[in-house]
Amino acid sequence: MKPTRSWVPYAFLLPAFAIFGFAVLVPMVLTVYYSTLEWDGYGEKKFVGVANFVELAHDSLMRASFWHVLLYIAATLVLEVAVGLLLAGLATAGRGTRLWFRTAVFTPVMLPMVVVALLWGFIYNPDFGLVNAALRGLGLDSFAHAWLGEKQTALWAICLVSGWAFAGFFMTIFAAALASLPAEVLEAARLEGASEWRLFWAVKLPMIRGSVEVAVLLCVTGGFQGFDLFYVLTNGGPYHSTEIPTTYLVREVFTNSNVGYGSAMAVVLTVIVVALGWSFGRLRARREVV
Amino acid sequence: MPRVQAGRAGTRRRPIRLVDLLVLAAMLVLAGIFFLPLLWMLASSFKSNSDIFSDPFALPRSIDPGRWVTAWQEGNLGRYVLNSVIVSAVSVTAVLVFGSSAAFAFARYRFPGRTVLMSLLGLGLLLPVQSYFIAQSQLFTSLALTDTRWALIIPYTAMGLPLATYLLTVFQSELPSELFEAAALDGAGDLRMLISITMPLLRPGLAAVGVFTLLSTWNEFLLALLYISDDNLKTIPTGLLAFSSRYVTDYSMLFGALSMITLPMLVIYVVFNRQINDSVAAGSLK
Repeated sequence: MKPTRSWVPYAFLLPAFAIFGFAVLVPMVLTVYYSTLEWDGYGEKKFVGVANFVELAHDSLMRASFWHVLLYIAATLVLEVAVGLLLAGLATAGRGTRLWFRTAVFTPVMLPMVVVALLWGFIYNPDFGLVNAALRGLGLDSFAHAWLGEKQTALWAICLVSGWAFAGFFMTIFAAALASLPAEVLEAARLEGASEWRLFWAVKLPMIRGSVEVAVLLCVTGGFQGFDLFYVLTNGGPYHSTEIPTTYLVREVFTNSNVGYGSAMAVVLTVIVVALGWSFGRLRARREVV
Repeated sequence: MPRVQAGRAGTRRRPIRLVDLLVLAAMLVLAGIFFLPLLWMLASSFKSNSDIFSDPFALPRSIDPGRWVTAWQEGNLGRYVLNSVIVSAVSVTAVLVFGSSAAFAFARYRFPGRTVLMSLLGLGLLLPVQSYFIAQSQLFTSLALTDTRWALIIPYTAMGLPLATYLLTVFQSELPSELFEAAALDGAGDLRMLISITMPLLRPGLAAVGVFTLLSTWNEFLLALLYISDDNLKTIPTGLLAFSSRYVTDYSMLFGALSMITLPMLVIYVVFNRQINDSVAAGSLK
């Protein structure tokens, strides 16, 4: 429809774009600008071109933090997406909504990550934590660890918490997709004598492929942006063994006042996340056209 | 033949099979794994420090809500909850109002710059908070916005708008255009159409968008950590963190505080699970 007066659509758009522009677009452009500076946030700005990016390429801690976040993403693809799929399969296998089951799995999703992190900090506590208490109860004292305090276990301990906190989110996505499948198709497959197990793998899963792809994308891009759990549980320690890009850049900018260098990290991270999301969108669009 | 099928699928109940019991058993075990930490948290909030240490699995001797009351009053927890309610309520309202207004323009009108503006919002769907928060904090500091509620309300609204506008545009495009043509003939102005036609018809979409905007503002941590240092303005995530360092060894009080934040969420899910499930499904479709 043509607007009655030409300025009308812009008036409707103005509030949204004013806020979005002020709080997101302008700061985003400024962050790119900052990434070319050597600047402590207060004093004189010194233009250094791409020097920050060159330094980043040689920064072994930056490389380690990307490696850690990739391990984290790989682990959460299993613990969140694959487990979420399994949970959704169970929740929709029988009749009824299974509200008790969904409530148990989904409640952690609604909690602030700080709550999740503080709670699991206690669960991993070496003295009275649930994990070590259970191991000691089973007579496996030698398996007890200071889970978050040791280099070998800290990252995996955080991955597990992430799985506990987010599996319910992915379950809900998959359960919604499974519930929308046409009942006739499933009934037909049952009449053919397909077992529930086979029905899930051969019929249901291929039909919700689109949701699985979206879930993988959300898990990967969300993983790159991870911060809350890592900050509260270990803040990158012990000995940087759980350092991820965002804990590193927050410390660099807000503790060490290296605004330029931190901004360069932010730009790299942004390019990765946007490129992943954008190419995913392109791939999907192309397949739908074909 | 169809009659036989109907009989099998419909009238006669399927007998309970072994596989159903296995599924149920698996569900019980998994629900237990997810729920055990929360039960432990709840039980520990009623135990003394020495009981927590001596036998982590034991049930509390008595249910005494005293520590909960102390946490709520002396621990400033009530204040944090109030701040979260204010910040979330204002942000969600702003997202819904400004998002539907922008979506109305995108769905109803063709105008120069429409494609460019839509792709800007599309970019907003992809942008992580890391792409702008460094400069945003500089900006907010120089405008003296830090340590005010606006320092959270403005970015939370801005972060929620792209997805909200996108989804509300999709919902609005599905409304029949005859409605609007008829209204135009009756002499309804543009604003009138938005308020009296679009908004009422859009209610399910607004509910879905509102729920996931609420979940993300309620739980946001990074910006709240950077922009708010005044304890009286802290929201639940940063407030709890401050609380946990103030009462670092008072475990029952900490567990009590965590329980008080967790239990309402559980109740909310039980009551609104349908809306929340729909909202998560809609929000993930981006």
